[in-house]
Amino acid sequence: MGTRPGYANLLLLIGLVLTSSLAPVSSLSVTVNDVECVYEYVLYEGDTVSGNFVVVDHDIFWSSDHPGIDLTVTSPAGNVVQTLKGTSGDKFEFKAPRSGMYKFCFHNPYSTPETVSFYIHAGHIPNEHDLAKDEHLDPINVKIAELREALESVTAEQKYLKARDSRHRHTNESTRKRVIYYTVAEYLLLACVSTLQVVYIRQLFSKSVGYNRV
Amino acid sequence: MAERRAEAILLVALLLLGCSGHLVPVTEAVWLTIPSSGTKCVSEEIQSNVVVLADYYIVDEEHAHLHTATISSRVTSPYGNNLHHNENVTHGQFAFTTSEAGNYLACFWIGGKHQEAAGLTIGLDWKIGIAAKDWESVAKREKIQGMELELLKLEGAVQAIHDNLIYLKNREAEMREVSEKTNARVARFSLMSLGACIVVSVLQLWHLRRFFERKKLI
Repeated sequence: MGTRPGYANLLLLIGLVLTSSLAPVSSLSVTVNDVECVYEYVLYEGDTVSGNFVVVDHDIFWSSDHPGIDLTVTSPAGNVVQTLKGTSGDKFEFKAPRSGMYKFCFHNPYSTPETVSFYIHAGHIPNEHDLAKDEHLDPINVKIAELREALESVTAEQKYLKARDSRHRHTNESTRKRVIYYTVAEYLLLACVSTLQVVYIRQLFSKSVGYNRV
Repeated sequence: MAERRAEAILLVALLLLGCSGHLVPVTEAVWLTIPSSGTKCVSEEIQSNVVVLADYYIVDEEHAHLHTATISSRVTSPYGNNLHHNENVTHGQFAFTTSEAGNYLACFWIGGKHQEAAGLTIGLDWKIGIAAKDWESVAKREKIQGMELELLKLEGAVQAIHDNLIYLKNREAEMREVSEKTNARVARFSLMSLGACIVVSVLQLWHLRRFFERKKLI
């Protein structure tokens, strides 16, 4: 790096602070009883907001599995940007029509509380308008931002895979437990029922039936 | 001289901008609503030996300086150890390195006597692993700045992706073992139950035949 004027350094620092503040959020899990809303601020209009959510399976032993939850994304103006219904986990992506606070609501149509693991990311790539405004923003910053967003999408995919793997693990554990317990119950029931059958038949014939009475 | 003063002012302004999470909406934070009674909990499944850095604050929307609402928080490890406990604050932060793998739970509730009828909105800035790395100290230590620092950050992200991939691969291998064991068990138990059924019915017939022969009915 050659000698730069002081102002250029500062502006670069400003640029770095602004762009570095778009660090990814970690994937949090929240328990949805009825409706749970999460808010995320989108800084610039036209940003790509991407994310995913996965319903982590609960140990429902006797009944069939939960049908899924709904996600509704509302823009700061109040209109619904995206809806996903009755799914156990999905990815979403949309271009933010305006900057502001976006609301992501999970709705659980049934009474069993479910834990949802979600991840939301709002990514900004400086475009020609930003380049024209700030003469110290190189075109290379655009390329670096694109690279960062691409790596970010890989990380998001990995978080989604990790959450799905966790759900799969729960399902596997549940299957394993169900196999063992249902088999043991089946054997016990079989033994009980056959003993009862024999006892009943014996009892039928031990009373005076009058078969071979002389 | 004037240039240096302007630089210094700009730097101070930047630092203030960066530090005051209240004035600038922090994009990496997620906002949650705490109900007026009860707690709101968020959790994450984290591996061991991972740095967790979190910052939480009350978001004042309209009535900025009128509310005296405070929140309390508690963070627990998967084995139940209390990692952080704070009562009646408007903002706080916690940082720890995970010692065991499992589900880490952070719970928030409205503290104090001031009861909000409609609940409170808090912002939570939760970073783990590579996102929690302090790049400023790395930049100062290695004396790099600008483009080089950005590329170093990208390299860190790539390394984290690689580590995550290996972790996912190992998890998948473990799960495949469990799946195959369960598959073998299902086959074995079904055949066993068929065998048990046949054995039990043979026993029943034999016992009843003996019984009827004894009773001289056959």
